[in-house]
Amino acid sequence: MHSRSSLALSLAVMVVSGAGTIAALDWPLKAKLFPMVIGIPLFCLAAAEVAWILLSKAPEEKAAEGEVPPLVARRRSLLGVGWILGLLASVVLLGFPIAVPLFVFLYLKLQGREGWIFSAVFTAAVWGAFYGLFDWLLHLPFPTGWLVAWLGFS
Amino acid sequence: MNWKPGLLVLALLPLSAWAQPQPYAGKTVTIIVGYKPGGGYDAMARLLARHLPKHIPGKPTVIVQNMPGGNSIIAANYLYSSAKPDGLTLGTFNRNLPIAQLTAVQGVKFDMRKFAWIGSAANETTVLTIRSDLPYKNFDELRKAKQPVVIGSTGPGANTYDFPLLLKDLLGVNLKIVSGYSSSADIMLAVERKEVDGRAGSISSLRPFVERKLVRPVVRARSHDVDPAIKDLPVDESIAPNPRAKAIMALRSAPELIARPYVMPPNTPPELLKVMREAFVAAIKDPAALAEATKAKLDLEYTPGEEAMKVLDEVLNQPKDIVAEFSKYVKFGE
Amino acid sequence: MLEALLQGLLAVLQVKAFSFMLLGILVGFWVGLLPGLGGATTLALMLPFIYNMQPVEAFAFLLGMHSVVATTGDITSVLFGVPGEATTAAIILDGYSMTKKGQAGRALGAALTSSLIGALIGAAALALAVPIVRPLVLTFGSPELFMLAVVGLAFIASLSAQGVRGMVRGFIAGGTGLYLAMVGQDPQAGVARFTFDTLYLAQGIDLVPVLVGLFAIPEIIELVVRGSSIAGTTKPGRIEGALEGVKDVFRNGWLTIRCSLIGTFVGIMPGMGGAVAQWMAYGHATQSARTPEEREGFGNGDVRGVLGPGAACNSKEGGALIPTIAFGVPGSTSMAILLGGFFLLGLVPGPEMLTTHLSVTFSMVWTIVLANVITVALCFLLLNRLARLTTLPGHLLIPVILVLVFIGSYTTNSSYADLVVTLISGAVGYLMVRAGYPRAPLVLGLVLGKIAENYLYISVARYDAAWLLRPFVLVLLAVALGVVLYPFFQLWRARNRARA
Repeated sequence: MHSRSSLALSLAVMVVSGAGTIAALDWPLKAKLFPMVIGIPLFCLAAAEVAWILLSKAPEEKAAEGEVPPLVARRRSLLGVGWILGLLASVVLLGFPIAVPLFVFLYLKLQGREGWIFSAVFTAAVWGAFYGLFDWLLHLPFPTGWLVAWLGFS
Repeated sequence: MNWKPGLLVLALLPLSAWAQPQPYAGKTVTIIVGYKPGGGYDAMARLLARHLPKHIPGKPTVIVQNMPGGNSIIAANYLYSSAKPDGLTLGTFNRNLPIAQLTAVQGVKFDMRKFAWIGSAANETTVLTIRSDLPYKNFDELRKAKQPVVIGSTGPGANTYDFPLLLKDLLGVNLKIVSGYSSSADIMLAVERKEVDGRAGSISSLRPFVERKLVRPVVRARSHDVDPAIKDLPVDESIAPNPRAKAIMALRSAPELIARPYVMPPNTPPELLKVMREAFVAAIKDPAALAEATKAKLDLEYTPGEEAMKVLDEVLNQPKDIVAEFSKYVKFGE
Repeated sequence: MLEALLQGLLAVLQVKAFSFMLLGILVGFWVGLLPGLGGATTLALMLPFIYNMQPVEAFAFLLGMHSVVATTGDITSVLFGVPGEATTAAIILDGYSMTKKGQAGRALGAALTSSLIGALIGAAALALAVPIVRPLVLTFGSPELFMLAVVGLAFIASLSAQGVRGMVRGFIAGGTGLYLAMVGQDPQAGVARFTFDTLYLAQGIDLVPVLVGLFAIPEIIELVVRGSSIAGTTKPGRIEGALEGVKDVFRNGWLTIRCSLIGTFVGIMPGMGGAVAQWMAYGHATQSARTPEEREGFGNGDVRGVLGPGAACNSKEGGALIPTIAFGVPGSTSMAILLGGFFLLGLVPGPEMLTTHLSVTFSMVWTIVLANVITVALCFLLLNRLARLTTLPGHLLIPVILVLVFIGSYTTNSSYADLVVTLISGAVGYLMVRAGYPRAPLVLGLVLGKIAENYLYISVARYDAAWLLRPFVLVLLAVALGVVLYPFFQLWRARNRARA
């Protein structure tokens, strides 16, 4: 159990429940009853957890990550987060129909280190399935990305 | 293969040069619905999506796109600012959005009057019904009730809440409004359970229960095309004790004439708007569509765009003090 | 009634109806499997196709599709740690852990078998309840529903780790979920609570983007970190067979049956929503741990954590049909759409469905039974192949899973804001996993928060304080107390045994 993560979470909960309770004070009774009945104990519990962590200073458990040493684990975690954020950015900027094949291809090539042909074929298969199912069959709408719209395509 | 049709086409080909251009041929029209799939607005849109194509020259495909959020304010904003006025996008949203605009609800970024109005695919009438086994047989008796009559509702902004609220606060009817039910179907279950004594709502949604004699309608709001079952009921506005109360009730009921509003983005070319309006008229008269609507318990009736604009004028030109008074009672919501 | 039972069966076995059911199963198979598609959205899309069908055929199609979704949703949850459906998230906790240990086959076997048993019990409940349905549903009013929500919330205690510290963390998670449920316009005073003046939050936080982020994102990151296949270091070809999973279900037969009953019961209660049953069943499954060590094992691959939610998820469908058919009150969104289908076919839900149209009701029961049997059989045939997917290199699966997660989140409301919610939930979920906070209570709080609040207000407004003394309310209160105290009881009993 990593106490730093727990500290972060509990502090966040304190902030949220504290701010929420203050905001709720102005509301009519019926609107504020539940938020206060939940928010105040929540704040106290989170505060208790924070106090526990700060006061106990138990030795940080060296995570037994299995085969992956902690530094490598951290680097890869950040990489994973980066890819996820990258997908979000490309979805918003380029739109799903472009972002999806682009992401799949780049991930296979850069992270997976697969060959060109395999990556291309796999991407094509994924894109085909995506298009066939979501667009052609279900007519689910995916808006054009901001960048694409700005550049004048549609 | 029969060659006669081909010959006919060849013969008529020169005529087609003078025929109307078909801007919709081969295109896809999208109807944007401000709600999730499964509700009344969505069902109506899908019904129209099935029957519109044959009445639009060029027979385009018509699909439905759901854009829920903010009680359909998000969809309305999108139709107002982001959708292209190329005739390929229509939208339908909460009928109370004119009121949201009037009361300056947070997030409203549209002006209802600037939309290219196709019209409304139905109009609604709100009624208050109470359980049949209660001793009050009509509105007068209800008004004399000594015990509060419990009315179930979903929450502020829905006609299940607003209509009885005005009856209670402006006409002094002895009602107790209990809100928080997840849907109107849950309220009907509560009626059967005798947990609540009645429910307000549109007559189209209450009709099955009235026919089953579970509940009895006692009072209604103003109506455009009065349903025979409720024609003789007293109208809330008519019993209003003063002009201000009357104005408030009228304001609440006004959007019901445009109960299923359909618009196109502002600045849509007039000829395209005309084509779409004509398609709507034809589709709504289409016997196949009417048959489907009856089965689905949807009321289908066209209100032209011009009438819709009149309603908007009535709503949006209310004097400030009426609006302020109105806001005390009615909050925008569902 | 026996006549109607037989008539219902014969109606389903007719060629046309049967083939439509198979078609429904085929569609439902993919809807459940893909996290990008919700059962509700697709039901709505399918509605137009049933216009030209006879009632029995149309329901064979719709129900065939609907019954299957919960089963195949389990597959995605177990194999990839991504909730295939909002209703199949609980099974991830232990199911996916088993997959990571190379026991995918066993987990799937258990999930599928428990799903089948759950579905059968749910269908049986529907059939048997027919005579007493109306009085049954009518007895449960808002006070009882509130108490049931309280029972559900009481399971937060069971779902927390043991010891005081564990409880504190569990309740922080649960409280956070409840707090998130408060976002939106409240139905009492119409105040926009915690919406930060945005339109997106005006109607509250949707479950699917949060669920998908909370569970799928941490797993995806973990997969990137491990850099291997999902099954880890287990050599392909040594995946434990599904048969073991099937045996597990029968070894824990009573637990499976109890969880099915929980699912059915919660399904019958109108307004409880579809996502609750699985968590209550999971909580109950954890109560069957006999020692603290066993209890720690939950969340790390205890097969009981698979068969509990698996059974409840399917049994609730049979239960949910009861208020839908008898009262026209849908037990979940997909039921609401099914209801639309009812009207289209000219059937009015209500007393007639239990008298004049009884055979239609029974044909629905049979459809659920047959559809589930066929689906489970089909899945078993494909099982080993499906399990083998977990031995594929992670970097092939990650992009596909991530894309599906994004699409699934986005299509909830056609809004980019949902993607942001998913990512934030992902961050929270990741921290929770690292900090050892249980995620289940958060989901429970989020799902039950509004229900609890609304029904409490209705109860008080209608009955003042008298509702507290209603018999069922007292029974449920006792159950809730029992559920909260049970973990302490478990601990005390284990200590006593250790001493002896």
